[in-house]
Amino acid sequence: MKNKYVINLKKLKPRGMQSTVMIAFSVISVSIMLILGVVMYFRFSAASRQEVVQSTQKLMEQTAENLEDYLVSMRQISDTVYYNVIKESDFSSQEQDIQTKMNLLYEANKDNLRSIAIYNNYGSLLAAEPVASQKEDPNVTRQGWYQQAMEEMENMHFSTPHIQNLFDDSTMRYYWVISLSRVVEITQDGVSQLGVLLVDMDYTGISRMMKQINTFDNGQYFYVCDGNGEIIYHPRQIQISDGITSENSIEAATYKAGVYDEKFEGERRKIVVNTISYTGWKLVGVIPYSTFTHGMVNMRYFILLLMCLMGMMLAVINRLVSVSISRPILKLNHSVLEYEAGKKPEIYIGGSLEIRHLGNSIQRSYEQIDSLMKKIVLEQNERRKSELDALQSQINPHFLYNTLESITWMVEGERNDEAVFMISQLARLFRISLSQGRTIITVKEELQHAESYMNIQKVRYKNTFSVEFDVDPSLYSCCTVKLILQPILENAINYGVSSMEDCGEIRVTGRREDGNVILAVSDNGIGMSEEEVDLVLTDSNRIHKHGSGVGLVNVNNRIQILFGTEYGLSIESEPDEGTTVSICIPEIPYTEENRKILERGSIFRKEEMEDKGMRENRDEE
Amino acid sequence: MKNDKKVFFLIEAVLGIMVVVLAFLMLQEKNGKDLAKVSIILQNSEDNQWAGFKYGLKMAAEDHGIEMSVVTTEGAWNAADEMDLIEAEIEHGADAVIVQPAPGAETEKALKKIQKKVPVMLVGSAASEERDDSELPVTEPDHYAMGAALAQELLNDYNGNISGKTIGILSETKETEAAENREQGFREKLEDSGAEISWSVSGSFGQDGDQSLSAMPKVDVIAALDDNSLTEAGKNGAANDLHGALVYGIGHSMEAFYYLDVTAVECLVVPDEFNMGYQSLTQIAERLRNRFYRPEDQTISYTVIRKETMFTKENQEILFTMS
Repeated sequence: MKNKYVINLKKLKPRGMQSTVMIAFSVISVSIMLILGVVMYFRFSAASRQEVVQSTQKLMEQTAENLEDYLVSMRQISDTVYYNVIKESDFSSQEQDIQTKMNLLYEANKDNLRSIAIYNNYGSLLAAEPVASQKEDPNVTRQGWYQQAMEEMENMHFSTPHIQNLFDDSTMRYYWVISLSRVVEITQDGVSQLGVLLVDMDYTGISRMMKQINTFDNGQYFYVCDGNGEIIYHPRQIQISDGITSENSIEAATYKAGVYDEKFEGERRKIVVNTISYTGWKLVGVIPYSTFTHGMVNMRYFILLLMCLMGMMLAVINRLVSVSISRPILKLNHSVLEYEAGKKPEIYIGGSLEIRHLGNSIQRSYEQIDSLMKKIVLEQNERRKSELDALQSQINPHFLYNTLESITWMVEGERNDEAVFMISQLARLFRISLSQGRTIITVKEELQHAESYMNIQKVRYKNTFSVEFDVDPSLYSCCTVKLILQPILENAINYGVSSMEDCGEIRVTGRREDGNVILAVSDNGIGMSEEEVDLVLTDSNRIHKHGSGVGLVNVNNRIQILFGTEYGLSIESEPDEGTTVSICIPEIPYTEENRKILERGSIFRKEEMEDKGMRENRDEE
Repeated sequence: MKNDKKVFFLIEAVLGIMVVVLAFLMLQEKNGKDLAKVSIILQNSEDNQWAGFKYGLKMAAEDHGIEMSVVTTEGAWNAADEMDLIEAEIEHGADAVIVQPAPGAETEKALKKIQKKVPVMLVGSAASEERDDSELPVTEPDHYAMGAALAQELLNDYNGNISGKTIGILSETKETEAAENREQGFREKLEDSGAEISWSVSGSFGQDGDQSLSAMPKVDVIAALDDNSLTEAGKNGAANDLHGALVYGIGHSMEAFYYLDVTAVECLVVPDEFNMGYQSLTQIAERLRNRFYRPEDQTISYTVIRKETMFTKENQEILFTMS
């Protein structure tokens, strides 16, 4: 399986540079964006969750305070009735006074009060405000508030909400009240006895307070329960008692003030609990976890929207960046491809510094290749032309004609020995000229050729000049290009000594210098000016007035083609003093192998040639 | 290169579409969804007897996120009046209606027509006298059982021996399925008891009505089979205008409780009006949430209350829903 994937991966074609850059950028930016998005979402949701809890806590603290104030005011009413009214008065003699005082208190607080009543220990009504007829048999002693007060006489008791079942105010209405009851000491006919003071608070006071905070439509709600978990107020009170829904109030009643996490009926929720002092009641705020997500839906959309917008922007930026990076390279590549396809060698130069440099380098190297190619072609042409020229010099018809005429002339004058000498010199000249088609011959052969040529010329010019050969014999076995001395000698005769009478001297010398062979032809002829010297080796189109027409330029070229540009001719001349033309060639021992290499046109390093020559010499020994 | 361009434009297009969709969703979320509107049409809707029912409706509306409104009506009505009201409500944008069917044979037909436009839930009584034939869902107590329970209480009070006692039956109308079943339940329970049903009258009594209870022949027991009749009987009982007759009845108003409290009424059978309101609106809410939901008939419970048990915790809560 794994191999399959690897094979598939390998099959994938290499992607273009732009796609690679784009994909890399996109992957990085999308990952960063996703991480940012998720982190942002969690940060926001945690913050908003905390904010919801905190704001709930604040709201609850305020409500708890209001509730406490409300309950404290009820307790104060109870205290006032007890200490200022009941304890101060005798019920048998001061009933009217008691009623007035109670009335004053009731009137001052009637917004929150339903009634104030005092019962004796038999459950008989002693006084009540507002004045109303008591029901026929309300059975007071069996009512919860009365029993609670009697059970714990030292305390005040807050009951759970209930229907007041005491008075008939003929409005056919029943009031939902919370009773604050306490045992009081009443005096009747001077006799002290126990009784119960009841302050019935209007339930609407509490329910109004709770309704004010129960306005959330996101599932969050608040309720009040007593210390046993009995519900005092709940926005869904009847649904709970009807079993339509339920509330975890019994457990909430056990909590101390604080924030709790709980799971109730499969729903996770946060519970904020506040304790109402003295009563033991708990104000409970319920925040289902769905509330947090409810508020977060828009935030989710917003973050997604932001991510999409960022994605769009990043895609554009990625594209721009990848295009700006890859376009110059693509253009460069394109121009190289065009060049390879044989179109114009115009290499694209643009983009960043590096790519410009690359383009320039490629352009330059192409140009160099071009010029080198041209040079090679030119050299080949030159070579062919030189060889042709050499061939031409081998059988210069004019020279042959003159020589033959001289011979004819000798024979006719019966100078047979001279004629024989001439013929034998001519024969040697041609033999060396031909040299079985070789280009490279030994220095010795070249000197012989020059000697023959000079012998013939001397006869022709009637010995008007003298020739001297002074060549180190150790150089005889070195390689040289054939027929390089003849054109120089020809020049020396034609331009140097031909016009002199009997005092012309031509000297051919050969010596070794710095590992090179220097063959020099010196004459004491008319010489040349410096300008003329410069022209001799550079102006190949120079018209030859005399001789075979093979210029020194040609000789120089041939030497350089075969041995390298560091070799060739050099000319020293002084007008009226004479001219010395030196040939500088490497000292390469003549072997068959060296000859072949040189003739193939490969330019050997001198050391290489020498090594080979030495080796062969050793072998021969 | 071209491929790259295509992919780029494709990505941009997909992201662009997502942005538009998300922006749309965000806007929609911000505007909030309009709450479904449900209109409730009751006879004499401001009457105290509907307090518990309305409280149930209110609680259900809060629980299910529904905007409900009770149409103010007064006095006697008929099917035509009711249909006009319903049509007007639908015109005003009601998505569903909860209707107490007016007495009369045409009501059912007209309501079926309405049901083709908007979901309809009947409360208190079925429109058809043959309940099984009705295609309209009803939320109501078991009227027959309530009638029978009332008779049973009467029997219990006399230790099963009410032979020779005369009974008068009061009801607001006899044309509804509810009234019929209640009376039937009551009568059938007393069939073999030897008690004599001296009279059975329907219609309005008292100040607005044309009849006076005190003018009715003297009986030992008056059975008032609906809230209006019971409060009227209670009122007369409290004023000692019933020639000593004991009142038994079915009621669900605070007045009915008061008359029980002052012993003008002996025994009270109270249908759970809170639940009638809550369940009917819950069914309609479910229907509005889910088009394919078929609201079901809901039978609500009833409680027998006597003066002694009037202030038990459970019964206090019934009173709480009414206040």
